[in-house]
Amino acid sequence: MSGGPSSEATAELVDVTVRFGGLLALDRISFDVQANEIVGLIGPNGAGKTTAFNVICGFQKPDSGTVRFPALGRTALKPSQLCAAGVARTLQGVGLFVNMSVLENVMAGAQGHVGRGFASSLFGLPAGRRHELALRDHAMVQLERLGIAQFASSLPGSIPYGISKKVSLARALMGNPSLLMLDEPASGLDESELDELAQLIVELRESMSVLLVEHNMDFVMPLVHRLVVLNFGEVIATGAPSTIRTNPDVLAAYLGVDP
Amino acid sequence: MKRLALFANQGATSSRLVGVLLLTLLTLAITFVLPPVADSQLASGAAISIVVLGLSWLIGWSGQISLGNSGFMAVGAYATGIWAHHHASSPIIFTFVLAMAVGAFSGLIIAIPSTRLRGPYLAGMTLAFSAAIAPLAQNYTSITGGEGGLFFNTLTTPHWFLNLFSGQNATIDANAQWTADLAVVVAGVTFFFMANLFHSHTGRAMRLVRDNDVAAELVGVNLPRTRTLAFVVAAAFAGLGGSLYALINATVTPSTFPLTLSITLLTLMVLGGIGTLSGAVIGGIIYAFSSNLVGHINSLTGINPTSNLGANMQGIIFGILLILTMLFTPRGIAGLGPRFGRLVANRRRVAPLATGE
Repeated sequence: MSGGPSSEATAELVDVTVRFGGLLALDRISFDVQANEIVGLIGPNGAGKTTAFNVICGFQKPDSGTVRFPALGRTALKPSQLCAAGVARTLQGVGLFVNMSVLENVMAGAQGHVGRGFASSLFGLPAGRRHELALRDHAMVQLERLGIAQFASSLPGSIPYGISKKVSLARALMGNPSLLMLDEPASGLDESELDELAQLIVELRESMSVLLVEHNMDFVMPLVHRLVVLNFGEVIATGAPSTIRTNPDVLAAYLGVDP
Repeated sequence: MKRLALFANQGATSSRLVGVLLLTLLTLAITFVLPPVADSQLASGAAISIVVLGLSWLIGWSGQISLGNSGFMAVGAYATGIWAHHHASSPIIFTFVLAMAVGAFSGLIIAIPSTRLRGPYLAGMTLAFSAAIAPLAQNYTSITGGEGGLFFNTLTTPHWFLNLFSGQNATIDANAQWTADLAVVVAGVTFFFMANLFHSHTGRAMRLVRDNDVAAELVGVNLPRTRTLAFVVAAAFAGLGGSLYALINATVTPSTFPLTLSITLLTLMVLGGIGTLSGAVIGGIIYAFSSNLVGHINSLTGINPTSNLGANMQGIIFGILLILTMLFTPRGIAGLGPRFGRLVANRRRVAPLATGE
């Protein structure tokens, strides 16, 4: 799968290098995410996983190399362009809007899609209002899909952590993304929540590509089609979970054994 | 059921229109019974409430602090004065639109560098702007009239309105009330527009930026554009408020909009309640009638109003009120209503238990 034609890839990094002063955070890394594929980005702390995410999202400009979204027909995107282009990302932790209800948080997920102008807002035009109501309905559907509709009017600070993570996922799904990027989706979840999440990701994969950063190997291994292993800013292995499990370089990186 | 409640919460444009209209009509009715002096105070209060509302939008919704709104007021007021000098007979609506446009433009000029700044740095930048306005006005004498300022008498009471009054002081009464009514109507219109903004796509973008700018960007909000828009709207409101304020007083001088007015605006906003329409109304009312309160306290305590202490009484009272508000009702006086409602609701919920039901 890894050598597939790049024109089909949802997202693709080619020879991306990022330097923070003297530190080489990413050293000419290349990997891609194919359509309807679940890819796991793993590696020890400080390996550059989040930096790679930030490069894809446009938060971090690579010093060299390119980011492309061939299936979306786009090259490097700014963060505020992601939503409209079809890329959604959840943040490490939860990253919700703390003073807004759960429903409003989810509605916000489609903020980049709608083209209602300032005049429509100012005059309270009927089209703008109809649009808001449709958005509200759509957000309720997302909440119901994840089984958390009863929390619609709650504030993020008053709901359990597991529910918050679902809210941030519902928000990401609002934009009907082609690429869903999940930053540590499993952290802080209990066994039953993990099973539920894994099942959901498998369902989502029918209609989108999923790229996730995760530490919980028991969660990642059975879920993903392909793993990309980073260590000290380099891709040390790429492949199916079964081959990665026995890869000597990966074992060395994780266990500190010399290959 | 819950879904229905959420829809109601959203509020249709028509229901906002009715709400604002009712409040405006009520206030207009009140101007008929108030004495001329109180009508003039009410007019100033209405002008200030527009500025407070703009500030409330900027701070409460977009999360950006401004100490420069007295500067935007001055810009709107000078635009009004200069326009009145050349086009005294043009309809008043042109003056208002011009003041808003000039205010918005000055907001844009300030916002472009300011959107790179946060918190105290942003406050400092806007403070510098409002501090710069008076010296500018003093220096460009040919345009601004220098230290003496500009005088204009553009607010002429129409004949049909004058005819409502008869008696000795007919003209004085009518003029004072016409000014108040005009200010109230203008305030009503701006409150309606702001109510729409609060519940719109644009309003949500502001709150997203305020709560979590990284997440806001990820859902497609353009941060610089949104922050700039917040400033432009607040400055347009301040420009309009300043224009109205100047028209009411028929003059604008470099000392009409001092730096301390920016602080007063901030205080009024907090006292009323940040980010709410009712908070801005309450702030306007407090401003309008604070001089009565000051006079009352001075006479009660026997403090000479022209003494150092007496002259600064308003600042002292505002300061005390501000501390009390922060301590007991951080959401301002407007926040007391919902709190009281919850208290009653809780009592009702507890009551059946107490009666053994």
